[in-house]
Amino acid sequence: MKLKDLAERLGWELKTRSLTVEAEVKTGYASDLLSDVLANSIEGDLWVTRQTHLNIVAIAVMRDLSGILIASGAEPDPDTLEKAAEKMVPIFRTTLPTFEVVGLLYQLGITGKR
Amino acid sequence: MLELSMHILDIVQNSLAAGSTRVEIRIREDLPQDLLVIEVQDNGRGISDAMLPKVTDPFVTSRTTREVGLGLPLLKEAAERCGGCLEVYSEENRGTRVVARFRLDHFDRAPLGDMGETMGILIAGNPGVDFLYEHRVDARIYLLETEKMRQILGSIGLDDPSVLDFVRQDIQMGLKKIGAATFPKIMEVLR
Repeated sequence: MKLKDLAERLGWELKTRSLTVEAEVKTGYASDLLSDVLANSIEGDLWVTRQTHLNIVAIAVMRDLSGILIASGAEPDPDTLEKAAEKMVPIFRTTLPTFEVVGLLYQLGITGKR
Repeated sequence: MLELSMHILDIVQNSLAAGSTRVEIRIREDLPQDLLVIEVQDNGRGISDAMLPKVTDPFVTSRTTREVGLGLPLLKEAAERCGGCLEVYSEENRGTRVVARFRLDHFDRAPLGDMGETMGILIAGNPGVDFLYEHRVDARIYLLETEKMRQILGSIGLDDPSVLDFVRQDIQMGLKKIGAATFPKIMEVLR
């Protein structure tokens, strides 16, 4: 499913408003430990996390992730959004906690298959 | 915990629960050594020799056995997760010193967080306690001492709302000036 459609169906807010979100997403990864994401995410993953600082953009770029979904209603730092726009990493925000939003994603066919 | 300032708040609350009247918080960033050291020193009741080895064991944390909460076990985990360690020194009736070391630019090093907010809460919430906050980045130093503030403030208490604002802003600006590392520099890889 396209990022855009996931965001629309699950009511996420697109924080990087200047970016297109047409990418097709098949898999995801959820973790708040950056080294864990670096080691275990795969290209194209949608990353669900509670972290909000600039380094999440670096991880997303390094691993070629399709986007970042910030859970539990946390707000990304302003410089995170600035860098995300520059590096073309879409960032979404949901008020749902990670467990809930990952469950919904799974129902829509997004798996954690490695 | 997502930010180091939250860990610090927690550790200092242990100090306050132990009846400290003076708490010194020192943060040192050593760029050449890739090291971040957080030190909290208090003059509280201290921890007995029998209890000291157990303070970082999360399962000894019941209210009946000791007063400190999960603060130390969580700080230990946060430090060790990024190539650091935690040391606790204490002497009964003299005080306790907690030293947490982190690798400054380790990917999993939690961001510093809002030290202005943390110190503001601590100072305004405990106007009778003396706080010192020192933050070093190599040779550059930021220093805040409530003892000095008291002299300047005169009859205005440290719990006055304007003091909270001042502390918050002074720390935020001060840390910016000395170039404090709010989070690990891993964006470098993108250059």
